[in-house]
Amino acid sequence: MSNNYQSKISRRDGIKWLGSLASVVVIGGVTVACDGPAPEAIPVDPSSHWPDLKFEPITGPKYGQDPKVAEPTRPWSLTFTSAQRNLVAQLCDILCPADEGGPSANDVGVPEVVDEWISAPYSSQQQDRVLILNGLQWLDDEANRRFGRAFLAASNDEQIAILDDIAFKAQASKPEFIHAVQFFDKLRTLVLGGYFTSPEGVEDIGYMGNVPIMGDYPGPTEEAMAHLEEVITNLPA
Amino acid sequence: MASFDGFEYEVVVVGSGAGGGMAAHILTEAGAKVLMLEAGRDYDPYEETPMFNTNDEAPLRGVSTSDKNFGYYDATVDGGWQVPGEPYTTAEGTEFLWWRARMLGGRTNHFGRITPRFNARDFKPFSQDGMGTDWPLDYEEVGPWYDQCEKLIGVSGANVGNEDIPDSAEGVLQPPAAPRVYEILCEVAAKKLGIPLIPMRRAVLTRAIDEREACFNATECGRGCSIGAAFQTTTSLLPWANKTGNLKIVTDAMVKEVHLNDEGMASGVTFVNRKNKEDVRVDASVVILAASACETARLMLNSKSEMFPTGIANSSGQVGRNLMDSTGSDISGYIPALRGRPKYNEDGLAGNHIFIPWWDYEGQDNGTLKFKRGYHFEFGGGFGAPGMGIADGVDGYGKSAKEAVRFNYGSNFYMALRGEMVENENCYCEIDDKVKDKWGIPVLKFHWKWSQQEIDQAEHGMEWGGKIIEAMGGVVTSPKRTGEEAILAGGQIIHEVGTTRMGDDPKTSVTNKWGQTWDVKNLYVMDGSVFVSNPHKNCTLTILTLAMKNATYLAQQLNGDVS
Repeated sequence: MSNNYQSKISRRDGIKWLGSLASVVVIGGVTVACDGPAPEAIPVDPSSHWPDLKFEPITGPKYGQDPKVAEPTRPWSLTFTSAQRNLVAQLCDILCPADEGGPSANDVGVPEVVDEWISAPYSSQQQDRVLILNGLQWLDDEANRRFGRAFLAASNDEQIAILDDIAFKAQASKPEFIHAVQFFDKLRTLVLGGYFTSPEGVEDIGYMGNVPIMGDYPGPTEEAMAHLEEVITNLPA
Repeated sequence: MASFDGFEYEVVVVGSGAGGGMAAHILTEAGAKVLMLEAGRDYDPYEETPMFNTNDEAPLRGVSTSDKNFGYYDATVDGGWQVPGEPYTTAEGTEFLWWRARMLGGRTNHFGRITPRFNARDFKPFSQDGMGTDWPLDYEEVGPWYDQCEKLIGVSGANVGNEDIPDSAEGVLQPPAAPRVYEILCEVAAKKLGIPLIPMRRAVLTRAIDEREACFNATECGRGCSIGAAFQTTTSLLPWANKTGNLKIVTDAMVKEVHLNDEGMASGVTFVNRKNKEDVRVDASVVILAASACETARLMLNSKSEMFPTGIANSSGQVGRNLMDSTGSDISGYIPALRGRPKYNEDGLAGNHIFIPWWDYEGQDNGTLKFKRGYHFEFGGGFGAPGMGIADGVDGYGKSAKEAVRFNYGSNFYMALRGEMVENENCYCEIDDKVKDKWGIPVLKFHWKWSQQEIDQAEHGMEWGGKIIEAMGGVVTSPKRTGEEAILAGGQIIHEVGTTRMGDDPKTSVTNKWGQTWDVKNLYVMDGSVFVSNPHKNCTLTILTLAMKNATYLAQQLNGDVS
């Protein structure tokens, strides 16, 4: 391994790349995620063993431009292998474990949400599929290199040791980890997104809407107003 | 009288959205028989609206895709930025997006229901600052029609004496909804900067009108509204017109040409029956185009004859010109002090309850601003239904990551600038001779270039949006951008207007102030095409209001002249 190799991707670029994930456009009060072109591929540094596997994109069937929206169905099949599904399930438990606020992502079926996502025949999801499947492979490769066994066969401490190297955005500054950091960032978005959009996650986070309130909208509760007044008192001059 | 399928009628209306819906309502109430042609499929919001459906029920948790550009539950049928088999093209260097819907009621089924009215200055922009063009109308004339229209469709809001959004007549507006925590915080912070917030005007009922129920403070308006609280033609104007017995609606009827007779009058139209691809010709005494600014222009440009070789009623050469959209730019951030705040239901009317109208007419007039036309800010945040982006920006894993999502919930805040552009010679649509859609109809080619006015306006908005977020104790997370970087593409705000503008002079305008084309007396335009300028105020209310005024005029003509 060449220790002197300087990555062409600066730390700043790595951080910038991560920042671009959050881009949204708001139209008519609706927040619309940008289904933009694929982010420019970051070359794989010699210090990295990112597998860079290529996948034929999944095509159709899509739900089309006139699905029965009041009775939603998903027309495409799930595509994870059982090994991939098991690995994602374990990552769900680590990423989003059960705690006093609610169950784990695994308990509420998030592995299937991730599977549905990466199996969807849309360009944005297909970009994510390449990232996720490569990332899952990278985790096994990394575990093999470090501990001589696949990720799921590694001990909990060993798994955590690997994740500690890729689960934080600042680690994108390291050429050997930047792709794995991208992968984990995407996985975290999907897993926590999948969890908090599930009925259990909605209850956990305390979303109280989507129920009819007859009569005038009541506005903030007394407690919410009291908190707001404190915020207003402390506003910058 | 012509007849179609045994239905006798004298007026053909092309399009069932805001303009067509209002025209049909007014004319059928006045006793005229109307045949309405809608390019899209029949649509029943009472049956089809996904009221209360949750994100976890939808594929991909409801996120936007190339099939459903505004998310799975958006009401738009067979449309969005692309319609299958019906392309449009853009000139080199042009970035333009065209949102279409192929459904009864058109884009009224999903629009934001934001309905501010124009003020006196808005009708006389050229007189104000020497740019753009004056309308052949003034506020004195249109104001009472706004009142009538708002009363009819149902608009919530309040009269607060704001100079940007004029008061409605007493008793017109329904009560506004109480502001939410982040809205009150914005109001308090913006006030320190001298910027007011006022109740939003929205075509969302807070009081029932007949069968239309008051909003029950849940589910997004963009999905459509099965209780009729959020205005759309499919729960109001169209059923009302149907009830008169004077309306026949034909869906899947894509109009491709307006015919001209030897006397220079419109004699009817030909539409493609989308179900069997056959051409159907229908006659009419009067033709009203309300297919949307760009479709109406396309239809006219494609209706060529010896008398009008460049398109029907286009002796001025203005058909397709003067295309305008609203400017748009967004700025986002979060308010640390709102993290972990007490939970309550912030759904309300689903859109803004209060908003920031244009506040600096003074700077505009005394030249301290680099641009001449105003904008407003819509904004958002709060405890919305969690979506797949809820963990954006979270780092790490495990309990701490989960806690971070919970803690951040309700602290995000974004502002969306929507501004006025001035028409310019670089923004127009024309027929692309090389490309036809799947019905064999030549498609539109768009040309677009923002002028420095709009770019400077967007830059100003991003600067002041940032100041407002900071005055709220917030942190701006959007990257710092120039106006050019911040401004969204033409068409992206879906406020296209201006392609057959009205005026006093047949040489520089396509219609008179009644939407009647100068060249062809029985051809009317009753959609956003007739706009002369495009104030920052979302266009639907003014489309409805002008259609109401002009259809009333037409009804008088018909009842007087045609027997």
